[in-house]
Amino acid sequence: MPKIFIDGQAIEVEAGWTVLKAAEAAGVHIPHLCYHPAFAPEGSCRMCLVEIEGLPKLELACSTTVKDGLKVNTQSPKVVEARKAVLEFLLAEHPLDCPICDQAGECKLQDYFEEYGLFRSQFKETKEKREKKLRLGRNLILDRERCILCTRCVRFLNEITKTKDAGVLNRGLRSEIGIFESELIDNNYSGNLAQICPVGAITDLDFRFKTRVWLLESRESICGLCSRGCNITIDSHPGHPRIPRVRRVYRIRARENPDVNSYWICDYGRYGYASLDENREDQLVWRKDGRLTRLSWDRVVQILGQKVKSLTFHRRTDRIGIVLNSNLTNEELFLADRIFRKGLGLHKFWLADPPQEKGDGWLLTPERTANRRGLQEIGWPLPAAEPRELLGLDLLLIFGPYLASGPGLADLKSVLDKVETKALFTSHVSGLDGLVDFIIPVPVIAEKGGSLTNVDGRVQTFAPALGFEGEGLPEWRALLDLARELRVDSKYFWPMDTPRAVFLALQREIPFFRR
Amino acid sequence: MAFWTGTRSTGSWKAWYRTLNEKVLTRHFGVEGLHRIDIYLKYGGYGAAEKALKKMTPSEVLEEVKKANLRGRGGAGFPAGVKWGFVPQNIPKPRYLCVNADEGEPGTFKDRYLMSHNPHLLLEGAIIASYAVGIHSAFIYIHGEYEAIALRLEEAIGEALGKGYLGEKILGTEFGLNVVVHRGAGAYICGEETALLESLEGKRGHPRLKPPFPASVGLFGCPTVINNVETLSNIPFIIQNGAEWFIRQGLPKDGGTRIFGVSGQVSKPGIYELPLGTRLRSIIFDHAGGMKDGKKLKAVIPGGMSAPILTADEIDLPMDFDSLVGAGSMLGSAAIIVIDEETSILDVLEAVAKFYSHESCGQCTPCRIGTSWINKIVRRLAAGQGEPGDIDTIVRLASNIKGKTLCPLGDAAALPILSICQKFRSELERYIPHA
Amino acid sequence: MSPELSAVLRRKIDEIAARYPKREAALLPILHLVQREVGFISSDEERFVAQALGLKPIKVREVVTFYTMLLRRPVGKYHLQVCSNLSCSLLGAGPLLDYLKQKLGIEVGETTADGRFTLSTVECLGGCEQAPCMMVNSDYHGFLDRDKIDRILEGLV
Repeated sequence: MPKIFIDGQAIEVEAGWTVLKAAEAAGVHIPHLCYHPAFAPEGSCRMCLVEIEGLPKLELACSTTVKDGLKVNTQSPKVVEARKAVLEFLLAEHPLDCPICDQAGECKLQDYFEEYGLFRSQFKETKEKREKKLRLGRNLILDRERCILCTRCVRFLNEITKTKDAGVLNRGLRSEIGIFESELIDNNYSGNLAQICPVGAITDLDFRFKTRVWLLESRESICGLCSRGCNITIDSHPGHPRIPRVRRVYRIRARENPDVNSYWICDYGRYGYASLDENREDQLVWRKDGRLTRLSWDRVVQILGQKVKSLTFHRRTDRIGIVLNSNLTNEELFLADRIFRKGLGLHKFWLADPPQEKGDGWLLTPERTANRRGLQEIGWPLPAAEPRELLGLDLLLIFGPYLASGPGLADLKSVLDKVETKALFTSHVSGLDGLVDFIIPVPVIAEKGGSLTNVDGRVQTFAPALGFEGEGLPEWRALLDLARELRVDSKYFWPMDTPRAVFLALQREIPFFRR
Repeated sequence: MAFWTGTRSTGSWKAWYRTLNEKVLTRHFGVEGLHRIDIYLKYGGYGAAEKALKKMTPSEVLEEVKKANLRGRGGAGFPAGVKWGFVPQNIPKPRYLCVNADEGEPGTFKDRYLMSHNPHLLLEGAIIASYAVGIHSAFIYIHGEYEAIALRLEEAIGEALGKGYLGEKILGTEFGLNVVVHRGAGAYICGEETALLESLEGKRGHPRLKPPFPASVGLFGCPTVINNVETLSNIPFIIQNGAEWFIRQGLPKDGGTRIFGVSGQVSKPGIYELPLGTRLRSIIFDHAGGMKDGKKLKAVIPGGMSAPILTADEIDLPMDFDSLVGAGSMLGSAAIIVIDEETSILDVLEAVAKFYSHESCGQCTPCRIGTSWINKIVRRLAAGQGEPGDIDTIVRLASNIKGKTLCPLGDAAALPILSICQKFRSELERYIPHA
Repeated sequence: MSPELSAVLRRKIDEIAARYPKREAALLPILHLVQREVGFISSDEERFVAQALGLKPIKVREVVTFYTMLLRRPVGKYHLQVCSNLSCSLLGAGPLLDYLKQKLGIEVGETTADGRFTLSTVECLGGCEQAPCMMVNSDYHGFLDRDKIDRILEGLV
């Protein structure tokens, strides 16, 4: 394997790597603005200039290919001076907007100025005045004064979405990013533009002026709004002693995963975070005689357990029905299978999912649930739930609010009225709330730990990114509690106390999950 | 077709040209109708192309041009034969020739003369070059403002096609070449070879990163040779008379003549074809008639605006590539701009700063912002609002542009500005009102 | 744009595009053609050319706004483009420009009220040995002085 030296440190490289890639692999940070790993090197910001032994001029790390024995210096006086020079040029025609700019706290110019600049401005001339609030896209605003013309936005639209909505207009210092007339950027990936803009030139209308990034916590998660399983980062407000929390989740950003979503997420997922906070089911209640009583989960387990034991004793397990959904994690679907089908021998199972919609030909799939593939691989051949089929049941456990999204809610009411006991495990308020007896709030995927199987069969494990603030519990824990209450296969279920423990069992039993 | 509407009469042009000697490229400029193929043929035109196509192999042509030490006449001075040799022969892609006729370097007008007086010479050079490198498609990228010249070239191409000097099976051989004239639209940067390619492909003239070099990845991703008009115009003479002859017209390492374009405050501005190595003082005072209105010389820009300025003391200089580099400047496009004592050097600096900030393509940070920042300071100086430290700032900014840009325009802006500030510092400081 | 002109232009566009290995490469000559026929290039022309070449209109505008000779606003019958570069400045282009401004009563970038003249400054025209020079539409005029300017303008009706 060829070897190069960066600041004296020997680094093994692969043929075809650039100096920048080699540096990143070795943990050496070379500042850069226009470079983005998704695009071919642009070489226009000039921030990544480094010194290469044997070459008279400074060279760009982003576009210089490695050669065995290459010696690179990223800290020499010439390099330090060049970085300051580039920063000085950029800041000379840059507005001092930090106090009102959303990018503050995650701005490359700020970061690099702090690390490599720290000089007083010598610019005494009049800065170019430009449009500061150009509507660029459905959700995008362009501030042309802040723009450093890295052209990441143009290149994204040329090379990734291939919609070619934007371009560079004029010449020289008058250069600016623009669209044609008012033909706004309007595709399902426009939100990525605000994310890849290294400064506050392109801002997201959805996030604009709402908070400061340093007040937010960033946690990794998986998007649950379709079966792609894009990797995301959720930025939420944890609450501070003297700063009131106006909302919890402020923003979702794309997280890199070369095998799933590359560097991108679609707008449907990016702006779908409202579902994490809005219309959440919070209270554990029992609807009895038209009144809602708060009660504990332990009490619910007792009541439901009694019902099951009674029906089992009278050999009437055919009067127990379970409605599942494919947003449940692998662990939850596995537990449901082992407890209800294998353990209790139940055989009345249905699937209620949100309706399929159009995919966008790239990341967004027609299935709008996160674990359809997991459902298949764990072996659930479930029919869709039809209201008529729910007749003749005494006990119905419904997982997910999606029965309400099917047709005929009125029919459903008349059917459910004839079911003696109905328990609903749901994350969101829905039309089902008025039709069931027990409502148990459950967390959404972002608030749980576990694993999901995406449309391509990739199993992704995740930990909670947000705290669950409802009175209920995750479905996997609810299922294990029921198993314990009903004494189903104690030796098997008793040691399971984490999603990981369940996953290990799942792996042991189903070869697919061992890949 | 007259390019200049109602200026000098043809008679005085002819007389003036007869005063020049040792001409190669401009020898027949006085001949009326030289731009027409029948006259061109009468004076031996297309004879070199015939010799190359019928009596020499492509590699023999290439070797002869290499031996002639013909350095590029556009500005960079890269040896033409060596550049041709970089083109890979064994890949299944078409190869292209781009004639760089985007004469935008301030002070330069020699290619305008060549193309308007002797367009067939350029075509003949292009044919021989294409034959040497295995090219069958050539584009002439011409300065947008030269609309009349573009028409003249198209007429010449039409004539050449009609007589079998272009098109398929030239002169009955297996070699074919098509030439397309492509007008620019007012962007100096398109004279830079990779920006020229971008412009020819229908895009903004943004220079490309090098490597890869155009010889491997050029027009439409194919191997491409880009040569200046004057460079190609020399080729027929090299083939007809041999490399050794060509070297004797100039210097051992720099074969041939150079067409010097003299303008500014001289008595006889115009083109002067002289051997490489002719002294600058001689060009100005012996050939171009000395200073206009008997003024004294203050400064000379020796190779187009991108060449660092020389003071009146520095003009005892042989005009060849290496001597000018040694003097801290460059031969560039051999455009000599003469400045007299009564001209304010601030006016010169103003013209320089304005030009580069106007022509910067805007792609890379130092040039996009630096050239305009310098321009803003110089404008402030010219308006009498200079402040102490302004010249130091200009020098610092120019140094920050130098060597850090994506293409040579950065240096083309920085080096002249640095030379003016260094050599005429005290005069510039006088424009700053002290507190 | 009239349907007749549109049809004529489309034919010419196809002719020009056929000279290039890739159709989009013909953009610059086509923009010159359209500008000659229509006078300038507005968003309508940008859309027209984009459609003819299979490009997005923004890509056409990128090019139109980059090149100085491509005009986005109409100009007068005679576009006076005065060189403001070094050799011409050394020989008095500045005062001559002032003379033109005063004579025509307009600033640089403006058009006379009767629509006859638009005044612009340009960079090097490549006519330096005949400085000071200017280009009127596509004709070069050199060795300018006040008298010559008067004579030239008189001849432009």
